[in-house]
Amino acid sequence: MPSICFYFQVHQPYRLKEYSYFDIGSDHHYFDDEKNREVLKKVSEKCYLPANKLMLELIKEHNGKFKISYSISGVALEQFETWQPDVLQSFKDLAATGCVEFIAETYYHSLAYIFSKEEFKKQIEQHRKLIKKHFNQEPKVFRNTELQYNNELAKFIEDLGYDAIICEGVDRLLHGRSPNFIYKAPNAHKIKSLLKNYKLSDDIAFRFSDQNWSEFPLSAQTYATWVHSVAGTGETINLFMDYETFGEHQWEHSGIFEFLRHMPVYVLAHKDFSFKTVSETAAAYPVRDAYDAHQLTSWADTERDLSAWLGNPMQDESIAKIYQLEQQVYASGDVSFIDSWKKMLTSDHFYYMCSKYWADGDVHKYFSPYDSPYDAYIYFMNAMSDLSIQLKSIEKPLKNAVVKETAPKKTTVKVVAGKKVPGKKAVAMSK
Amino acid sequence: MFGWEFPPEISGGLGVATLGLCKALAHDADVKMIIPKNVPNFNIENIELVGLNSIDPEDIEVLFGTEPTPKIPILPSSFKQPIGPYSSVLPSEFLDQTYYEYYNAAIQPFEIEELYGGDVIAKVIEFEKIAVAYCLKDDFDIIHAHDWLTFLPAMHLKMITGKPLVIHIHSTEFDRTGVESNNWVFELERRAMEMADCIIPVSNYTGDICVQYYGADPHKIRTVHNGIVPVSTKVDAKKRKGNLVVYFGRVTQQKGPDYFVEAAKKVLEYLPDTKFVMAGAGDLLETMILKTASYGIGDRFYFTNFLNKDKLDELLLAADLYCMPSKSEPFGLSALEAAQFGIPVIISNTSGVAEVLPGAMKVAFDDVDKLAAYMVASLNFTGLRQAVVAADNSSLNQITWEKCAKEVMQVYESLFNETNNIC
Repeated sequence: MPSICFYFQVHQPYRLKEYSYFDIGSDHHYFDDEKNREVLKKVSEKCYLPANKLMLELIKEHNGKFKISYSISGVALEQFETWQPDVLQSFKDLAATGCVEFIAETYYHSLAYIFSKEEFKKQIEQHRKLIKKHFNQEPKVFRNTELQYNNELAKFIEDLGYDAIICEGVDRLLHGRSPNFIYKAPNAHKIKSLLKNYKLSDDIAFRFSDQNWSEFPLSAQTYATWVHSVAGTGETINLFMDYETFGEHQWEHSGIFEFLRHMPVYVLAHKDFSFKTVSETAAAYPVRDAYDAHQLTSWADTERDLSAWLGNPMQDESIAKIYQLEQQVYASGDVSFIDSWKKMLTSDHFYYMCSKYWADGDVHKYFSPYDSPYDAYIYFMNAMSDLSIQLKSIEKPLKNAVVKETAPKKTTVKVVAGKKVPGKKAVAMSK
Repeated sequence: MFGWEFPPEISGGLGVATLGLCKALAHDADVKMIIPKNVPNFNIENIELVGLNSIDPEDIEVLFGTEPTPKIPILPSSFKQPIGPYSSVLPSEFLDQTYYEYYNAAIQPFEIEELYGGDVIAKVIEFEKIAVAYCLKDDFDIIHAHDWLTFLPAMHLKMITGKPLVIHIHSTEFDRTGVESNNWVFELERRAMEMADCIIPVSNYTGDICVQYYGADPHKIRTVHNGIVPVSTKVDAKKRKGNLVVYFGRVTQQKGPDYFVEAAKKVLEYLPDTKFVMAGAGDLLETMILKTASYGIGDRFYFTNFLNKDKLDELLLAADLYCMPSKSEPFGLSALEAAQFGIPVIISNTSGVAEVLPGAMKVAFDDVDKLAAYMVASLNFTGLRQAVVAADNSSLNQITWEKCAKEVMQVYESLFNETNNIC
């Protein structure tokens, strides 16, 4: 009785503005509020709003037989709350159906697992609270940023009390086995690993509108027959993808929404098939084999490794240096410093610095708000320099008990008419 | 093959490129290289190098079968001023009026001292007459000419023999003088592009100029990027942590020296210890010196004038950053030379070399703020320097004269095939 497990990733970073060296010391707001709001609006209109509407309709139409899971980063939820409360509401509506599960992740969509286990735990906890607040759910399944995963992480997440963890089904680790079963890390006791079926996932996420693809144009009916062909050779088909696939990566006119609208009907036409959320999937099937991942893998690029975020000198330097500030940032006790610092941990900043495929105009370029990886690096380094200088400037007064009381402790950013007021932060930090 | 500037006589990239290509070509083709001036005992393996200055008057006499006379074509007086391939020429209708007549004029032995000094056009015309007569002595299959200085004999030879004509564009009058260029040289280039069977620009950037500004047939254009001879000095390991920013190349409007100075001024406001070197000669050199003085940054600037290869290598060993803010740069060999020394490079978008160094930092030539920002970031951030150098190193491995020669051979072969099909 195989089932389909849909999990969609929802994430929007706080992109840095084109922060010049010449701004250091005078401008303490590093994020491009205007661009972030614009991108969020565009993606909301093209994807989140129509896709959520469609998901809600499908859930209602199929009387609870259509089920899905989401992982929404904390920074995305924050931005929805600030700039697109309608999107946040539509996710709440989905949560209320009982057919939608929310997955745990790092609040800042970060690489904290690699650089600071302490920070990693803090971010998971921060994200858990936010999910609880908005959707009244306690996540039972965890996914790390961009499906970064290895045995050690599986064990770490097991110790935090999660039932399952999501990862890529990497060919070189599957050794010819199917991703359509539940696996377990050899060192873990009970946490189950859900492996992405990248072939069937990428048929939707990447190839759907590729006119050179032999299966183009893909119909919901054809796709359902591929899914059905798993019968007898697998238990769960894990279709994991960016939610932005619907309407943003694959534009509406490609027919992606129509495809999604009809696919559940065709899949459910086979009476053995059903849809399950991530924790239902984990609960429904036993572990069939060990999946042994020593190196960290991910779902990115053809390499399925970490080379999208780490490995070139710019990425390695900038990420090492931002994590070096961890102690200082927390020691400052300044909410706005902590906030800026954490937003700079978001993996996207390092993804924009990727120089793997220089001139290809590839997927990295598509997602980057900047002209080149160099620019991404320079703006990041400049902003970090400013933060670092700010931290140093308050270090001394903090050591002095007399001025401790007057040390700047400005708090949250005020929201006026749905608009952030960066000036507040600047005032708070400039002292 | 016709060349003008040729080692050891070089003042820019043309000579280096001509030599690099013909050396590599010599493995696959019999190359006869006709140049205005050669130096005794300077020979290149497998290449027949003919300097017209070294042909005896007796041979010229034999060549033309008549007594040489001192008469040379009369040029409008406006041309009798120092001009070079890299400075502008006044407009004239010279070509139209005289082109089909002047080669009937009598001949005298070829003498040339400075390639770009004196009346260059007179030299170009003299070169044409003797070169054509000389070439007609022997059989050949293809005519290949490098830049406008050699287009006259190449075109003439094509008219007489009907052999396929390949013109190699290392630089155009458009690059040198801008959109206003409408002069004798421009017209010569235009006519050559019209007559050529194939145009080889050194970059797609230059190919686009040929099409857009000269009306060249896009189907005739086959870009072949220049190569570079690997440096023997091992420099990869050197860690560059200093603050020496280098510009080298001619100090002319085309190369954008003023943007370099403006950016330097901005950088110095924030990093006052930075040092700048402007290595090269040119008509804007004095202006630049005055400009740095008036900004009060003259003490941070070093003007070296033209540097020979050894001095240049010495400079590059010490440099920390290279900038080439050229307004219009057909290729930009100097950026490759800098990259070979493991120096991060900043180049303008309007340069051919950007096509072969995708990892270089690129700016719009007049975006002084961005140029300054890249300078500062390169000096401050190790990660950036390392990333740029690593990217450029991997590109450099692909940039060879052998690859260039192979592509030129493909051009020849396609021309032979075309000719055979017609016959």
